[in-house]
Amino acid sequence: MSATDDQKVTLGNYLALAFAVVFFSGLLQSSEWYGVFDFTTLNGTFGSMADGVMFRGKGGSGARDGFLFALTLVPTCMFALGMINVLEHYGALKAARKLLSPLLRPLMGLPGSAGLAMIGSLQNTDTGAGLTKNLIEDGELNQEEAEIFTAFQFSAGATIVNFFSSGAVLFTLTNADGSMAVPTSIGLTVAIMFVFKIIGANILRLVLKAQGKKVNTQTKAA
Amino acid sequence: MAQASKKMITDVFVEGARKGWNICAMSTIPNVMMAFIIIKALNITGALGALGNLFEPLMVLVGLPGEGAAVIMGAIMSMGGAVGIVMGLFSEGILTGEHIAILAPAIYLCGSTIQYAGRILGVIGTRGNLYPIMFAICIANSFMAMFVMNLFFV
Repeated sequence: MSATDDQKVTLGNYLALAFAVVFFSGLLQSSEWYGVFDFTTLNGTFGSMADGVMFRGKGGSGARDGFLFALTLVPTCMFALGMINVLEHYGALKAARKLLSPLLRPLMGLPGSAGLAMIGSLQNTDTGAGLTKNLIEDGELNQEEAEIFTAFQFSAGATIVNFFSSGAVLFTLTNADGSMAVPTSIGLTVAIMFVFKIIGANILRLVLKAQGKKVNTQTKAA
Repeated sequence: MAQASKKMITDVFVEGARKGWNICAMSTIPNVMMAFIIIKALNITGALGALGNLFEPLMVLVGLPGEGAAVIMGAIMSMGGAVGIVMGLFSEGILTGEHIAILAPAIYLCGSTIQYAGRILGVIGTRGNLYPIMFAICIANSFMAMFVMNLFFV
């Protein structure tokens, strides 16, 4: 797979992407029939064992409590990564790349050929880093572009996999009265991370520009 | 590709769920357990309270108690560990659901950067003098995200 390959993106791929956005956004979170299209709804809840306490128990601490708590994360993580695998299989990420590639220049000053590495970096840090290295070697990215792109990848590395394997579970926490504890959605959190990844890359862009100006003035002075 | 599309959707799901299981067994469970041990140690030594007092003035700007700083520090080492710290502090009643909403994107924006310095910056070949700037950007991203998230709950 070359960094610049351009496979045909079908309507089905866009549908898969649209489904991914809706499924994780929390928009359809409900116990009505349309809740079947929402991650948190299908993720469900653990039952209570006695006096409304979950199998993790109440009042634990240390390694033992940590272990039991970590076990409560397992189903969310397996469900989320299972769904992401399905959505990826149906081309959701290919569609995302197609939509994002033309935006890379206006958003971060990067060429569209970085699209595949960008989508790769959202899933796996090493894939992102490896593909970026290839782009540099192929002359697709100059040093400054590579550094801006690196800043994008370094903050919230492998966003999708990391967030869905540990962060998504935060949204299943409940208060003592059984109500949902975290008053925001998975979708908003992912959007905020994505926006700040782009802002971070642009901060580096400004830093590099300022450094470049300094070097130019010094050269002129010399 | 043709071969891949013949797979049953259920098989594809199970393959992904297996990846999830491996991540949990190899990374999440050990990391979260470590975080709970650290919280316990910090708590019984009184260090958690001291940390909370020390960072109170900074964290209050983003609508968090001082102990929220422990989450960000933990995140720089490990994202999964930081989630464990959040859960530990939630069980102790130090963090509320609103606090968790503020922290959620921030954990990832500065998350695992110590490890990623080798796996991203090292592999791509980033110039050494840019390393501190890269770390600073991640921490700035976290604080900006907490600031923005806090605006939703004010």
